[in-house]
Amino acid sequence: MRFALSAEQRQFAESLTGLLSAADVATVARRWAGGEHEPGLKLWRRLAEVGVTALAVPEHRDGLGAGAVELVVAFERLGYHGVPGPWTDTAAALPALLDDELLAGVAAGETLASLRWDPHVPHALDADVADTRIAVDGTDLRVFTPGRSLSGVDGSRRLFEAVPGDVIASCPDPGRAFDQAALATAAQLLGAGRWLLDRSVDYARQRVQYGRTIGEFQAVKHLLADVATRLELAGPLVYGAAVALDAGGDVPRDVSAARVAAADAAYLAARTGLQVHGAIGYTAEHPLGLWLAKVRALTGTWGTQAFHRSRVLTALRAGSVR
Amino acid sequence: MPNIVVLVKQVPDTYSERKLNESDHTLDRESADAVLDEINERAVEEALKIKEASEGEVTVLCVGPDRATDAIRKALSMGADKAIHVSDESLHGSDMVATAKVIAAAIGRVEGVDLVIAGNEASDGRGGAVPAMLAELLGMPQLTHARQVTVDGSTVQVDRETEEGLTHLEAGLPAVISVTEKINEPRYPSFKGIMAAKKKPVETLTVADLGVDAGEVGLANAWSTVLEAAPKPPRTAGQRVDDEGDGGTKIAEYLVGQKLI
Repeated sequence: MRFALSAEQRQFAESLTGLLSAADVATVARRWAGGEHEPGLKLWRRLAEVGVTALAVPEHRDGLGAGAVELVVAFERLGYHGVPGPWTDTAAALPALLDDELLAGVAAGETLASLRWDPHVPHALDADVADTRIAVDGTDLRVFTPGRSLSGVDGSRRLFEAVPGDVIASCPDPGRAFDQAALATAAQLLGAGRWLLDRSVDYARQRVQYGRTIGEFQAVKHLLADVATRLELAGPLVYGAAVALDAGGDVPRDVSAARVAAADAAYLAARTGLQVHGAIGYTAEHPLGLWLAKVRALTGTWGTQAFHRSRVLTALRAGSVR
Repeated sequence: MPNIVVLVKQVPDTYSERKLNESDHTLDRESADAVLDEINERAVEEALKIKEASEGEVTVLCVGPDRATDAIRKALSMGADKAIHVSDESLHGSDMVATAKVIAAAIGRVEGVDLVIAGNEASDGRGGAVPAMLAELLGMPQLTHARQVTVDGSTVQVDRETEEGLTHLEAGLPAVISVTEKINEPRYPSFKGIMAAKKKPVETLTVADLGVDAGEVGLANAWSTVLEAAPKPPRTAGQRVDDEGDGGTKIAEYLVGQKLI
Protein backbone atom coordinates (compact mmCIF):
# COMPACT_ATOMS: atom_id res chain seq x y z
CA MET A 1 0.00 0.00 0.00
CA ARG A 2 1.43 3.32 -1.05
CA PHE A 3 0.44 6.36 0.99
CA ALA A 4 2.46 9.06 -0.76
CA LEU A 5 0.48 11.09 -3.27
CA SER A 6 1.41 10.70 -6.92
CA ALA A 7 2.93 13.57 -8.89
CA GLU A 8 -0.44 14.07 -10.60
CA GLN A 9 -2.36 14.21 -7.31
CA ARG A 10 0.10 16.76 -5.93
CA GLN A 11 -0.18 18.80 -9.12
CA PHE A 12 -3.97 18.75 -8.82
CA ALA A 13 -3.71 20.00 -5.23
CA GLU A 14 -1.34 22.76 -6.38
CA SER A 15 -3.76 23.77 -9.09
CA LEU A 16 -6.60 24.06 -6.54
CA THR A 17 -4.31 26.00 -4.18
CA GLY A 18 -3.51 28.45 -6.95
CA LEU A 19 -7.15 28.92 -7.91
CA LEU A 20 -8.45 29.24 -4.34
CA SER A 21 -5.61 31.45 -3.05
CA ALA A 22 -6.51 34.03 -5.68
CA ALA A 23 -10.27 33.82 -5.05
CA ASP A 24 -10.69 35.62 -1.68
CA VAL A 25 -12.75 32.73 -0.34
CA ALA A 26 -13.31 34.38 3.06
CA THR A 27 -15.35 37.13 1.40
CA VAL A 28 -17.21 34.57 -0.70
CA ALA A 29 -18.06 32.61 2.49
CA ARG A 30 -19.29 35.72 4.30
CA ARG A 31 -21.55 36.63 1.40
CA TRP A 32 -22.79 33.04 1.17
CA ALA A 33 -23.66 33.23 4.87
CA GLY A 34 -25.70 36.33 4.09
CA GLY A 35 -27.72 34.48 1.48
CA GLU A 36 -25.83 36.04 -1.41
CA HIS A 37 -24.96 33.01 -3.49
CA GLU A 38 -23.62 34.44 -6.73
CA PRO A 39 -19.89 34.70 -5.82
CA GLY A 40 -20.04 31.23 -4.28
CA LEU A 41 -21.73 29.75 -7.34
CA LYS A 42 -19.14 31.40 -9.56
CA LEU A 43 -16.40 29.76 -7.48
CA TRP A 44 -18.35 26.49 -7.68
CA ARG A 45 -18.29 26.63 -11.47
CA ARG A 46 -14.58 27.46 -11.57
CA LEU A 47 -13.82 24.49 -9.33
CA ALA A 48 -16.04 22.34 -11.56
CA GLU A 49 -13.97 23.45 -14.56
CA VAL A 50 -10.83 22.00 -13.02
CA GLY A 51 -12.74 18.82 -12.27
CA VAL A 52 -13.67 18.84 -8.56
CA THR A 53 -17.37 18.06 -9.06
CA ALA A 54 -16.63 15.37 -11.67
CA LEU A 55 -14.10 13.33 -9.67
CA ALA A 56 -16.51 10.79 -8.17
CA VAL A 57 -18.94 10.81 -11.11
CA PRO A 58 -18.47 7.72 -13.32
CA GLU A 59 -17.21 8.17 -16.85
CA HIS A 60 -20.47 7.02 -18.46
CA ARG A 61 -22.12 10.02 -16.75
CA ASP A 62 -19.52 12.42 -18.16
CA GLY A 63 -17.47 12.30 -14.99
CA LEU A 64 -13.82 11.53 -14.38
CA GLY A 65 -14.32 8.26 -12.50
CA ALA A 66 -11.42 9.14 -10.25
CA GLY A 67 -10.77 7.44 -6.93
CA ALA A 68 -11.39 8.34 -3.32
CA VAL A 69 -7.77 9.48 -2.98
CA GLU A 70 -8.35 12.21 -5.55
CA LEU A 71 -11.56 13.13 -3.74
CA VAL A 72 -9.63 13.47 -0.48
CA VAL A 73 -6.97 15.60 -2.18
CA ALA A 74 -9.68 17.98 -3.44
CA PHE A 75 -11.71 18.11 -0.21
CA GLU A 76 -8.61 18.76 1.88
CA ARG A 77 -8.04 21.87 -0.26
CA LEU A 78 -11.72 22.89 -0.03
CA GLY A 79 -11.44 22.65 3.76
CA TYR A 80 -8.14 24.51 3.85
CA HIS A 81 -9.62 27.43 1.97
CA GLY A 82 -13.00 27.31 3.70
CA VAL A 83 -15.04 27.05 0.49
CA PRO A 84 -18.79 27.32 1.21
CA GLY A 85 -21.52 25.21 -0.40
CA PRO A 86 -22.96 21.68 -0.35
CA TRP A 87 -19.73 20.11 -1.62
CA THR A 88 -19.92 16.91 0.40
CA ASP A 89 -23.55 16.24 -0.57
CA THR A 90 -23.00 16.97 -4.25
CA ALA A 91 -19.49 15.83 -5.11
CA ALA A 92 -18.87 13.06 -2.56
CA ALA A 93 -22.19 11.44 -1.53
CA LEU A 94 -24.59 11.80 -4.48
CA PRO A 95 -22.38 10.16 -7.16
CA ALA A 96 -22.20 7.01 -5.00
CA LEU A 97 -25.90 7.10 -4.09
CA LEU A 98 -27.45 6.71 -7.52
CA ASP A 99 -26.50 6.25 -11.13
CA ASP A 100 -28.68 8.74 -12.90
CA GLU A 101 -28.34 11.20 -15.74
CA LEU A 102 -28.47 14.06 -13.26
CA LEU A 103 -24.87 13.16 -12.40
CA ALA A 104 -23.82 14.70 -15.70
CA GLY A 105 -25.08 17.99 -14.32
CA VAL A 106 -23.11 17.41 -11.13
CA ALA A 107 -19.94 16.76 -13.15
CA ALA A 108 -20.47 19.92 -15.18
CA GLY A 109 -20.94 22.00 -12.04
CA GLU A 110 -24.54 22.87 -12.93
CA THR A 111 -26.32 20.71 -10.36
CA LEU A 112 -26.03 21.28 -6.62
CA ALA A 113 -27.42 18.67 -4.27
CA SER A 114 -28.58 18.81 -0.68
CA LEU A 115 -29.05 15.60 1.29
CA ARG A 116 -30.79 14.67 4.49
CA TRP A 117 -29.61 11.46 6.02
CA ASP A 118 -31.23 10.50 9.31
CA PRO A 119 -29.88 10.43 11.93
CA HIS A 120 -26.40 11.57 10.82
CA VAL A 121 -27.44 14.57 8.74
CA PRO A 122 -30.72 15.70 10.28
CA HIS A 123 -30.87 19.04 8.48
CA ALA A 124 -30.38 19.84 4.82
CA LEU A 125 -27.38 21.98 3.92
CA ASP A 126 -27.93 24.85 1.47
CA ALA A 127 -31.29 23.35 0.47
CA ASP A 128 -32.41 26.73 -0.89
CA VAL A 129 -29.69 26.89 -3.51
CA ALA A 130 -29.53 23.14 -4.28
CA ASP A 131 -31.70 21.92 -7.15
CA THR A 132 -31.49 18.23 -6.28
CA ARG A 133 -32.87 17.45 -2.82
CA ILE A 134 -32.88 13.91 -1.55
CA ALA A 135 -33.70 12.45 1.84
CA VAL A 136 -32.12 9.06 2.40
CA ASP A 137 -34.51 6.88 4.36
CA GLY A 138 -32.99 3.42 4.76
CA THR A 139 -32.68 2.22 1.19
CA ASP A 140 -35.38 4.61 -0.05
CA LEU A 141 -34.47 7.88 -1.67
CA ARG A 142 -37.20 10.49 -1.27
CA VAL A 143 -37.43 14.00 -2.61
CA PHE A 144 -37.82 16.64 0.04
CA THR A 145 -38.89 20.22 0.12
CA PRO A 146 -36.95 22.75 2.19
CA GLY A 147 -38.85 23.95 5.23
CA ARG A 148 -37.89 26.41 7.94
CA SER A 149 -34.36 27.81 7.87
CA LEU A 150 -32.41 26.92 10.99
CA SER A 151 -29.55 28.67 12.68
CA GLY A 152 -26.31 26.77 13.04
CA VAL A 153 -22.90 27.33 14.53
CA ASP A 154 -21.35 28.02 11.13
CA GLY A 155 -23.17 30.83 9.35
CA SER A 156 -21.77 29.81 5.98
CA ARG A 157 -23.46 26.42 6.36
CA ARG A 158 -27.10 27.36 5.81
CA LEU A 159 -29.33 24.64 7.22
CA PHE A 160 -32.97 23.90 6.48
CA GLU A 161 -35.61 21.56 7.74
CA ALA A 162 -36.31 18.87 5.19
CA VAL A 163 -39.90 17.80 4.56
CA PRO A 164 -39.71 14.39 2.83
CA GLY A 165 -42.03 13.55 -0.05
CA ASP A 166 -42.34 10.66 -2.50
CA VAL A 167 -39.88 7.87 -2.98
CA ILE A 168 -38.09 8.49 -6.30
CA ALA A 169 -35.55 5.69 -6.27
CA SER A 170 -33.92 3.16 -4.06
CA CYS A 171 -30.30 2.56 -3.21
CA PRO A 172 -29.67 -1.02 -2.08
CA ASP A 173 -26.35 -0.16 -0.47
CA PRO A 174 -26.10 3.47 0.62
CA GLY A 175 -23.05 2.66 2.79
CA ARG A 176 -20.54 3.64 0.16
CA ALA A 177 -22.15 7.08 -0.28
CA PHE A 178 -22.18 7.63 3.45
CA ASP A 179 -18.56 6.60 3.88
CA GLN A 180 -17.48 8.74 0.96
CA ALA A 181 -19.25 11.73 2.54
CA ALA A 182 -17.80 11.03 6.00
CA LEU A 183 -14.34 10.77 4.46
CA ALA A 184 -14.81 14.01 2.50
CA THR A 185 -15.76 15.63 5.80
CA ALA A 186 -12.61 14.23 7.42
CA ALA A 187 -10.53 15.63 4.56
CA GLN A 188 -12.15 19.04 4.95
CA LEU A 189 -11.44 18.95 8.68
CA LEU A 190 -7.82 18.04 8.00
CA GLY A 191 -7.54 20.96 5.57
CA ALA A 192 -9.27 23.39 7.95
CA GLY A 193 -6.93 22.26 10.74
CA ARG A 194 -3.92 22.89 8.52
CA TRP A 195 -5.19 26.37 7.68
CA LEU A 196 -5.68 27.14 11.37
CA LEU A 197 -2.16 25.93 12.16
CA ASP A 198 -0.57 27.88 9.29
CA ARG A 199 -2.32 31.12 10.26
CA SER A 200 -1.46 30.62 13.94
CA VAL A 201 2.20 30.04 13.10
CA ASP A 202 2.22 33.14 10.88
CA TYR A 203 0.67 35.16 13.67
CA ALA A 204 3.06 33.84 16.32
CA ARG A 205 5.95 34.96 14.12
CA GLN A 206 4.49 38.42 13.72
CA ARG A 207 2.96 39.42 17.02
CA VAL A 208 5.41 41.03 19.44
CA GLN A 209 4.92 40.98 23.20
CA TYR A 210 7.44 41.64 25.96
CA GLY A 211 9.96 42.69 23.34
CA ARG A 212 9.89 39.57 21.19
CA THR A 213 7.62 37.69 18.84
CA ILE A 214 5.31 35.41 20.77
CA GLY A 215 6.47 32.42 18.71
CA GLU A 216 9.79 32.64 20.54
CA PHE A 217 8.12 31.70 23.81
CA GLN A 218 8.37 28.01 24.46
CA ALA A 219 4.84 27.76 25.81
CA VAL A 220 3.46 29.00 22.47
CA LYS A 221 5.81 26.75 20.50
CA HIS A 222 4.58 23.72 22.41
CA LEU A 223 0.95 24.55 21.77
CA LEU A 224 1.58 24.77 18.05
CA ALA A 225 3.82 21.70 17.97
CA ASP A 226 1.05 19.66 19.58
CA VAL A 227 -1.36 20.73 16.85
CA ALA A 228 1.19 19.96 14.13
CA THR A 229 1.71 16.47 15.57
CA ARG A 230 -2.00 15.72 15.76
CA LEU A 231 -2.60 16.87 12.20
CA GLU A 232 0.43 14.96 10.99
CA LEU A 233 -0.95 11.78 12.56
CA ALA A 234 -4.48 12.33 11.25
CA GLY A 235 -3.25 12.78 7.65
CA PRO A 236 -2.22 9.15 6.99
CA LEU A 237 -5.50 7.89 8.45
CA VAL A 238 -7.46 10.07 6.03
CA TYR A 239 -5.40 9.04 3.00
CA GLY A 240 -5.36 5.43 4.23
CA ALA A 241 -9.16 5.36 4.42
CA ALA A 242 -9.28 6.65 0.85
CA VAL A 243 -7.01 3.81 -0.24
CA ALA A 244 -9.34 1.38 1.58
CA LEU A 245 -12.34 2.83 -0.28
CA ASP A 246 -10.53 2.41 -3.61
CA ALA A 247 -8.81 -0.90 -3.03
CA GLY A 248 -11.08 -2.58 -0.54
CA GLY A 249 -10.59 -3.17 3.16
CA ASP A 250 -12.54 -2.51 6.33
CA VAL A 251 -14.00 0.71 4.96
CA PRO A 252 -16.35 1.73 7.82
CA ARG A 253 -13.59 1.21 10.38
CA ASP A 254 -10.97 3.12 8.40
CA VAL A 255 -13.27 5.98 7.44
CA SER A 256 -14.49 6.39 11.00
CA ALA A 257 -10.97 6.27 12.44
CA ALA A 258 -9.95 8.95 9.94
CA ARG A 259 -12.98 11.09 10.78
CA VAL A 260 -12.38 10.85 14.54
CA ALA A 261 -8.68 11.70 14.24
CA ALA A 262 -9.18 14.51 11.73
CA ALA A 263 -11.97 16.10 13.77
CA ASP A 264 -9.99 15.88 17.02
CA ALA A 265 -6.90 17.36 15.37
CA ALA A 266 -8.88 20.15 13.68
CA TYR A 267 -10.69 20.95 16.90
CA LEU A 268 -7.39 21.23 18.76
CA ALA A 269 -6.11 23.45 15.93
CA ALA A 270 -9.18 25.64 16.37
CA ARG A 271 -8.86 25.95 20.16
CA THR A 272 -5.13 26.55 19.96
CA GLY A 273 -5.50 28.94 17.06
CA LEU A 274 -7.91 31.06 19.04
CA GLN A 275 -5.61 31.07 22.03
CA VAL A 276 -2.53 32.01 20.00
CA HIS A 277 -4.38 34.76 18.17
CA GLY A 278 -5.68 36.25 21.40
CA ALA A 279 -8.51 38.75 21.26
CA ILE A 280 -8.11 39.49 17.53
CA GLY A 281 -9.29 35.95 16.80
CA TYR A 282 -12.70 36.72 18.30
CA THR A 283 -13.40 39.67 16.05
CA ALA A 284 -15.73 39.38 13.08
CA GLU A 285 -13.17 41.27 10.95
CA HIS A 286 -10.58 38.51 11.33
CA PRO A 287 -11.22 35.40 9.22
CA LEU A 288 -10.21 33.03 12.03
CA GLY A 289 -13.80 32.82 13.25
CA LEU A 290 -14.97 31.40 9.91
CA TRP A 291 -12.71 28.38 10.35
CA LEU A 292 -13.44 27.99 14.07
CA ALA A 293 -17.13 27.71 13.29
CA LYS A 294 -16.57 25.45 10.30
CA VAL A 295 -14.53 22.96 12.33
CA ARG A 296 -17.17 22.82 15.04
CA ALA A 297 -19.95 22.29 12.49
CA LEU A 298 -18.10 19.65 10.44
CA THR A 299 -17.29 17.71 13.60
CA GLY A 300 -21.00 17.09 14.13
CA THR A 301 -22.10 16.24 10.60
CA TRP A 302 -22.01 12.99 8.61
CA GLY A 303 -21.92 11.19 11.91
CA THR A 304 -20.98 12.47 15.34
CA GLN A 305 -17.66 11.65 16.91
CA ALA A 306 -19.50 9.19 19.20
CA PHE A 307 -21.02 7.40 16.21
CA HIS A 308 -17.66 7.08 14.46
CA ARG A 309 -15.93 5.92 17.63
CA SER A 310 -18.59 3.26 18.05
CA ARG A 311 -17.99 2.02 14.51
CA VAL A 312 -14.27 1.69 15.23
CA LEU A 313 -15.08 -0.13 18.46
CA THR A 314 -17.47 -2.52 16.71
CA ALA A 315 -14.83 -3.34 14.13
CA LEU A 316 -12.19 -3.94 16.79
CA ARG A 317 -14.51 -6.20 18.77
CA ALA A 318 -15.31 -8.17 15.65
CA GLY A 319 -11.60 -8.81 15.45
CA SER A 320 -11.04 -7.32 12.05
CA VAL A 321 -7.72 -5.83 13.11
CA ARG A 322 -5.04 -6.64 10.59
CA MET B 1 -4.53 26.30 -38.25
CA PRO B 2 -1.54 27.93 -36.63
CA ASN B 3 1.32 25.77 -35.48
CA ILE B 4 2.56 27.44 -32.30
CA VAL B 5 5.74 27.00 -30.30
CA VAL B 6 5.74 28.39 -26.77
CA LEU B 7 9.02 28.99 -24.99
CA VAL B 8 8.94 28.10 -21.32
CA LYS B 9 11.56 28.37 -18.64
CA GLN B 10 11.82 26.93 -15.19
CA VAL B 11 12.91 29.59 -12.71
CA PRO B 12 13.43 29.81 -8.96
CA ASP B 13 10.18 30.73 -7.23
CA THR B 14 9.92 34.52 -7.10
CA TYR B 15 8.80 34.26 -3.50
CA SER B 16 11.88 32.36 -2.37
CA GLU B 17 15.38 33.69 -1.77
CA ARG B 18 17.42 33.47 -4.94
CA LYS B 19 21.18 32.95 -4.84
CA LEU B 20 24.17 32.73 -7.16
CA ASN B 21 26.75 29.95 -6.97
CA GLU B 22 29.88 31.23 -5.26
CA SER B 23 32.22 29.42 -7.63
CA ASP B 24 31.00 30.55 -11.06
CA HIS B 25 28.30 33.15 -10.27
CA THR B 26 25.63 31.22 -12.17
CA LEU B 27 22.17 30.72 -10.74
CA ASP B 28 22.07 28.35 -7.77
CA ARG B 29 19.12 26.25 -8.86
CA GLU B 30 19.21 24.02 -5.81
CA SER B 31 18.71 26.85 -3.34
CA ALA B 32 15.11 27.60 -4.22
CA ASP B 33 11.89 25.91 -5.29
CA ALA B 34 11.67 25.70 -9.05
CA VAL B 35 8.49 26.74 -10.84
CA LEU B 36 7.26 27.41 -14.35
CA ASP B 37 7.90 31.13 -14.84
CA GLU B 38 4.63 32.97 -14.38
CA ILE B 39 5.00 34.94 -17.58
CA ASN B 40 5.33 31.64 -19.46
CA GLU B 41 2.01 30.48 -18.04
CA ARG B 42 0.56 33.50 -19.76
CA ALA B 43 2.42 32.68 -22.98
CA VAL B 44 1.00 29.14 -22.86
CA GLU B 45 -2.48 30.52 -22.14
CA GLU B 46 -2.28 32.82 -25.16
CA ALA B 47 -1.16 29.96 -27.39
CA LEU B 48 -4.04 27.82 -26.14
CA LYS B 49 -6.53 30.62 -26.76
CA ILE B 50 -5.31 30.99 -30.34
CA LYS B 51 -5.44 27.23 -30.78
CA GLU B 52 -8.96 27.02 -29.38
CA ALA B 53 -10.14 29.76 -31.73
CA SER B 54 -8.76 28.16 -34.87
CA GLU B 55 -7.39 24.73 -33.94
CA GLY B 56 -3.71 24.14 -34.62
CA GLU B 57 -1.06 22.62 -32.41
CA VAL B 58 0.90 23.94 -29.44
CA THR B 59 4.43 22.71 -28.80
CA VAL B 60 6.21 23.65 -25.61
CA LEU B 61 9.94 24.25 -25.90
CA CYS B 62 12.14 24.32 -22.85
CA VAL B 63 15.89 24.63 -22.48
CA GLY B 64 16.96 23.65 -18.99
CA PRO B 65 18.26 20.95 -16.70
CA ASP B 66 16.49 17.62 -16.19
CA ARG B 67 14.27 18.85 -13.41
CA ALA B 68 12.70 21.38 -15.78
CA THR B 69 10.39 18.50 -16.75
CA ASP B 70 8.11 19.72 -13.94
CA ALA B 71 7.66 23.05 -15.71
CA ILE B 72 7.05 21.24 -19.00
CA ARG B 73 4.43 19.00 -17.32
CA LYS B 74 2.61 22.04 -16.05
CA ALA B 75 2.47 23.57 -19.53
CA LEU B 76 1.24 20.26 -20.95
CA SER B 77 -1.38 19.89 -18.24
CA MET B 78 -2.69 23.36 -19.10
CA GLY B 79 -3.39 21.94 -22.57
CA ALA B 80 -0.29 22.13 -24.80
CA ASP B 81 0.01 19.15 -27.15
CA LYS B 82 3.67 18.13 -26.98
CA ALA B 83 7.03 19.27 -25.77
CA ILE B 84 10.68 19.51 -26.70
CA HIS B 85 13.14 19.56 -23.84
CA VAL B 86 16.73 20.54 -24.59
CA SER B 87 18.79 19.33 -21.67
CA ASP B 88 22.58 19.26 -21.79
CA GLU B 89 25.23 19.77 -19.14
CA SER B 90 27.28 21.81 -21.60
CA LEU B 91 24.58 24.50 -21.62
CA HIS B 92 25.29 25.44 -18.01
CA GLY B 93 26.08 29.16 -17.81
CA SER B 94 25.15 29.92 -21.43
CA ASP B 95 24.52 33.57 -22.19
CA MET B 96 21.48 34.90 -24.03
CA VAL B 97 23.11 34.69 -27.47
CA ALA B 98 23.95 31.01 -27.00
CA THR B 99 20.50 30.33 -25.52
CA ALA B 100 18.82 31.97 -28.50
CA LYS B 101 20.91 29.87 -30.90
CA VAL B 102 19.92 26.66 -29.15
CA ILE B 103 16.24 27.66 -29.11
CA ALA B 104 16.38 28.61 -32.79
CA ALA B 105 17.90 25.23 -33.64
CA ALA B 106 15.21 23.44 -31.63
CA ILE B 107 12.43 25.41 -33.31
CA GLY B 108 13.94 24.30 -36.62
CA ARG B 109 12.91 20.75 -35.71
CA VAL B 110 9.22 21.66 -35.56
CA GLU B 111 7.71 21.61 -39.02
CA GLY B 112 5.84 24.61 -40.36
CA VAL B 113 5.98 26.91 -37.33
CA ASP B 114 3.61 29.84 -37.69
CA LEU B 115 4.07 31.53 -34.36
CA VAL B 116 6.62 31.53 -31.57
CA ILE B 117 5.30 32.90 -28.28
CA ALA B 118 7.58 33.79 -25.38
CA GLY B 119 7.32 35.77 -22.19
CA ASN B 120 8.86 39.24 -22.44
CA GLU B 121 11.51 38.34 -19.87
CA ALA B 122 12.26 35.57 -17.41
CA SER B 123 11.91 36.46 -13.76
CA ASP B 124 15.41 35.19 -12.91
CA GLY B 125 17.76 36.54 -15.61
CA ARG B 126 15.51 39.47 -16.59
CA GLY B 127 17.52 40.06 -19.77
CA GLY B 128 14.43 40.27 -21.93
CA ALA B 129 16.45 39.98 -25.15
CA VAL B 130 16.02 36.32 -26.10
CA PRO B 131 12.77 36.79 -28.08
CA ALA B 132 14.36 39.55 -30.19
CA MET B 133 17.57 37.57 -30.75
CA LEU B 134 15.52 34.56 -31.70
CA ALA B 135 13.51 36.52 -34.27
CA GLU B 136 16.79 37.71 -35.78
CA LEU B 137 18.21 34.18 -35.94
CA LEU B 138 15.02 32.74 -37.43
CA GLY B 139 14.60 35.63 -39.83
CA MET B 140 11.09 36.28 -38.53
CA PRO B 141 9.46 39.57 -37.59
CA GLN B 142 9.47 40.31 -33.87
CA LEU B 143 6.46 41.68 -32.04
CA THR B 144 7.57 42.07 -28.45
CA HIS B 145 5.91 43.28 -25.23
CA ALA B 146 2.46 42.35 -26.47
CA ARG B 147 -0.49 43.03 -24.21
CA GLN B 148 -2.93 41.89 -26.83
CA VAL B 149 -2.52 39.46 -29.72
CA THR B 150 -4.89 38.84 -32.62
CA VAL B 151 -4.20 36.22 -35.25
CA ASP B 152 -6.13 36.76 -38.45
CA GLY B 153 -5.44 34.33 -41.27
CA SER B 154 -1.81 34.76 -42.17
CA THR B 155 -1.20 37.96 -40.22
CA VAL B 156 -0.82 38.75 -36.56
CA GLN B 157 -1.63 42.04 -34.84
CA VAL B 158 -0.19 43.07 -31.54
CA ASP B 159 -0.67 45.93 -29.10
CA ARG B 160 2.84 46.57 -27.88
CA GLU B 161 3.08 48.31 -24.55
CA THR B 162 6.30 49.77 -23.21
CA GLU B 163 7.16 52.68 -20.96
CA GLU B 164 7.17 54.91 -24.04
CA GLY B 165 3.58 54.11 -24.85
CA LEU B 166 1.40 51.88 -26.94
CA THR B 167 2.22 50.84 -30.50
CA HIS B 168 0.10 48.73 -32.82
CA LEU B 169 2.11 46.25 -34.83
CA GLU B 170 1.18 43.90 -37.62
CA ALA B 171 3.26 41.24 -39.30
CA GLY B 172 2.86 38.30 -41.60
CA LEU B 173 3.25 34.83 -40.18
CA PRO B 174 5.53 33.22 -39.19
CA ALA B 175 6.51 35.62 -36.40
CA VAL B 176 7.95 35.79 -32.91
CA ILE B 177 5.83 37.33 -30.17
CA SER B 178 6.68 38.10 -26.58
CA VAL B 179 3.88 38.80 -24.12
CA THR B 180 3.65 40.93 -20.97
CA GLU B 181 1.83 40.29 -17.72
CA LYS B 182 -1.25 42.13 -18.99
CA ILE B 183 -1.92 39.67 -21.80
CA ASN B 184 -4.31 37.34 -19.94
CA GLU B 185 -5.04 35.34 -16.80
CA PRO B 186 -3.60 31.85 -17.18
CA ARG B 187 -5.92 28.89 -16.54
CA TYR B 188 -5.37 26.39 -13.74
CA PRO B 189 -4.60 22.87 -14.89
CA SER B 190 -7.67 20.64 -14.54
CA PHE B 191 -7.58 17.09 -13.25
CA LYS B 192 -8.30 15.89 -16.77
CA GLY B 193 -5.49 18.03 -18.17
CA ILE B 194 -3.05 16.76 -15.56
CA MET B 195 -3.88 13.13 -16.33
CA ALA B 196 -3.75 13.72 -20.09
CA ALA B 197 -0.32 15.38 -19.78
CA LYS B 198 1.16 12.08 -18.62
CA LYS B 199 0.61 10.62 -22.07
CA LYS B 200 1.79 13.59 -24.14
CA PRO B 201 5.08 13.18 -25.97
CA VAL B 202 8.18 14.95 -24.67
CA GLU B 203 11.19 14.82 -26.96
CA THR B 204 14.46 15.24 -25.08
CA LEU B 205 17.39 16.56 -27.09
CA THR B 206 21.03 17.38 -26.49
CA VAL B 207 23.06 20.17 -28.05
CA ALA B 208 24.68 17.61 -30.37
CA ASP B 209 21.21 16.40 -31.53
CA LEU B 210 20.46 19.95 -32.57
CA GLY B 211 23.69 20.27 -34.52
CA VAL B 212 24.84 23.21 -32.43
CA ASP B 213 28.60 23.44 -31.89
CA ALA B 214 29.41 22.82 -28.24
CA GLY B 215 32.06 25.54 -28.56
CA GLU B 216 29.29 28.13 -28.93
CA VAL B 217 27.50 27.40 -25.66
CA GLY B 218 28.19 27.22 -21.95
CA LEU B 219 29.83 29.46 -19.41
CA ALA B 220 33.27 29.41 -21.04
CA ASN B 221 31.89 30.63 -24.35
CA ALA B 222 29.64 33.37 -23.01
CA TRP B 223 30.28 36.83 -24.47
CA SER B 224 30.32 38.40 -21.04
CA THR B 225 31.76 37.17 -17.77
CA VAL B 226 30.61 37.88 -14.24
CA LEU B 227 33.79 38.74 -12.32
CA GLU B 228 32.28 39.34 -8.93
CA ALA B 229 28.90 39.14 -7.23
CA ALA B 230 27.75 40.24 -3.81
CA PRO B 231 24.40 39.66 -2.16
CA LYS B 232 22.10 42.62 -1.92
CA PRO B 233 22.81 44.50 1.33
CA PRO B 234 20.00 44.07 3.86
CA ARG B 235 17.52 46.88 4.04
CA THR B 236 18.54 49.46 6.59
CA ALA B 237 16.07 50.61 9.17
CA GLY B 238 14.09 53.61 7.97
CA GLN B 239 14.21 57.05 9.48
CA ARG B 240 11.51 57.53 12.08
CA VAL B 241 9.67 60.79 12.33
CA ASP B 242 7.71 61.51 15.51
CA ASP B 243 4.79 63.75 14.87
CA GLU B 244 4.81 66.67 17.23
CA GLY B 245 2.49 68.74 15.15
CA ASP B 246 5.13 69.20 12.46
CA GLY B 247 5.18 65.64 11.03
CA GLY B 248 4.10 66.78 7.59
CA THR B 249 6.85 69.37 7.39
CA LYS B 250 9.47 66.85 8.45
CA ILE B 251 8.36 64.35 5.81
CA ALA B 252 8.45 67.09 3.19
CA GLU B 253 11.95 68.08 4.32
CA TYR B 254 13.08 64.48 4.05
CA LEU B 255 11.65 64.12 0.55
CA VAL B 256 13.30 67.42 -0.51
CA GLY B 257 16.58 66.11 0.94
CA GLN B 258 16.23 63.01 -1.25
CA LYS B 259 15.47 65.30 -4.21
CA LEU B 260 12.12 63.54 -4.62
CA ILE B 261 10.06 66.71 -4.45
